Amino acid sequence: MTAEALTDKVDDLYGYVQERCLWHFSSRSWDRQENIDGVLAKAGDMLTGREPVLESPNDRLQFAEAKSMVEDFRERFPWLREAGDEEIRQLLDGLKERLVDIAITQSHNRELKHHLY
Amino acid sequence: MPMVLLKCDKDIPEREKHIYLKAPDEDTREYLPIANAATIPGTLSERGCAFCGAKLVIGGVLKDTIQMIHGPIGCAYDTWHTKRYPTDNGHFNMKYVWSTDMKESHIVFGGEKRLEQSMNEAFDEMPEVKRMIVYTTCPTALIGDDIKAVAKKVMKDRPDVDVFTVECPGFSGVSQSKGHHVLNIGWVNEKVGTLEPEITSEYTMNFIGDFNIQGDTQLLQTYWDRLGIQVIGHFTGNANYDDLRKMHRAKLNVVNCARSSGYIANELKKQYGIPRLDIDSWGFSYMAEGVRKICAFFGIEERGEQLIAEEEAKWKPKLDWYKERLKGKKMAIWTGGPRLWHWTKSVEDDLGIKVVAMSSKFGHEEDFEKVIARGQEGTYYIDDGNELEFFEIIDLVKPDVIFTGPRVGELVKKLHIPYVNGHGYHNGPYMGFEGFVNLARDTYNAVYNPLAGLAGVDIRVPEQVAPILLREAA
Ligand code: SF4
Repeated sequence: MTAEALTDKVDDLYGYVQERCLWHFSSRSWDRQENIDGVLAKAGDMLTGREPVLESPNDRLQFAEAKSMVEDFRERFPWLREAGDEEIRQLLDGLKERLVDIAITQSHNRELKHHLY
Repeated sequence: MPMVLLKCDKDIPEREKHIYLKAPDEDTREYLPIANAATIPGTLSERGCAFCGAKLVIGGVLKDTIQMIHGPIGCAYDTWHTKRYPTDNGHFNMKYVWSTDMKESHIVFGGEKRLEQSMNEAFDEMPEVKRMIVYTTCPTALIGDDIKAVAKKVMKDRPDVDVFTVECPGFSGVSQSKGHHVLNIGWVNEKVGTLEPEITSEYTMNFIGDFNIQGDTQLLQTYWDRLGIQVIGHFTGNANYDDLRKMHRAKLNVVNCARSSGYIANELKKQYGIPRLDIDSWGFSYMAEGVRKICAFFGIEERGEQLIAEEEAKWKPKLDWYKERLKGKKMAIWTGGPRLWHWTKSVEDDLGIKVVAMSSKFGHEEDFEKVIARGQEGTYYIDDGNELEFFEIIDLVKPDVIFTGPRVGELVKKLHIPYVNGHGYHNGPYMGFEGFVNLARDTYNAVYNPLAGLAGVDIRVPEQVAPILLREAA
């Protein structure tokens, strides 16, 4: 896949998350990071046919978020069905980079680093 | 397009940092309105006070609790009966209001005795009620009345009562948001974990941040019942005081209003390890998604699919009837904060409506991150809007309907623009599948109601009236 094609596909996934999801905009930067890492890891498992680990309550939560997202991804973006494991990894890495960038690194939200809720 | 300085704000240029017009290819890395900041002198804010955020929004919803407002009578009246949150026990919370009615002599000589007397009087008058929240207000906070000490004394004298105190006078924050925060944190630290629930299902959750506005909680409860999920605490729609002391036993926190109640969900996660799931309860596709996520968490996906199928079969044709007639209409949403991001996509996707301007009274920057991510280009995003700004924005975007509160609603009615009560609703509930059809119906009735047009003509003149009455209501 060319870099351009990858960017276009990451754009699609990113657009979906921005429009539909709330987990990357949780209250503090560490919550955002935990959700972004956790939900995308579970999504990666599902998209590459691995069984997601469901040990802790938080695992189950991230699984529930990822499940909805992956179902919508599959429905909206038919090209995802043809993607191999390596491509899925690249796509989710790209998505993670974009989400961390907007929700944490470059966010202007002045409350993100407050140590109390 | 960067931030916008409206013409009416030329003498208060600081307002530019609070108003954003979204342009193509821009996002919140470049522009984010400043929010949850002190109101700028010279702007006439629509905000409420911090005490109001605690009492009117959260505490006052409880169905079995005396709300003792320690202050002058106005603080009580201003936070009573302006929200419609019924209960299944005859609307106890809406029928009564309690105040220590502080007068000058109490301010001069101290109000603690007055408070103790009022608390005892209220419990004596209502012997079946055993729970109370006591709130400070500006004057009683300023004179340093120790309401915690008084509450302790009353609880000692009356061992069968339980009292929670909220020390959040009007001046303690920039808006009602501070009151949400103080009540959330106080409750989780002082009351959660002090009672144990009876567990009746292996699937347990708290539903956080829905206040049974015109029956929202009661409607959604029918879903949880059908799914076999036990809701331990509704924070705080149609809830009992004691239910909320048991919130530590739920397996999942489902959050609707992240602004008023996100704090307690975060603390329940931090202190008790209960995960937090944020959902949108307004709109068909959002509600279905919320049900799916909750069911996926518990591993009961088939039950969720069945419920969604039943609800959609019943309500989707009705929704579509309205969608056909509302497609392309322009809406402004001027409410508290989260309804901006809850509603902007749901009215767009489910009803074909375009949201052209949104203003938040007490939202934080997080709310603007969410709404700008979801909202359209060419739409205005305003923090702490004032009346003159509303008039100017109306001229710029020409909405067909405005979702806002009754006070701003009265203003826009004078411009012959229909409004729907975005806080207490016109004819709710608005949450859930059935609820969104109600919202669609109220929007349709507002947009096509000839009254707004008739208000602008001389109704004695048939030639002026006829075209308005004949206008096809789609
Ligand atoms: S601002 Fe102070 S005095 Fe006014 S209603 Fe609020 S608490 Fe009462």
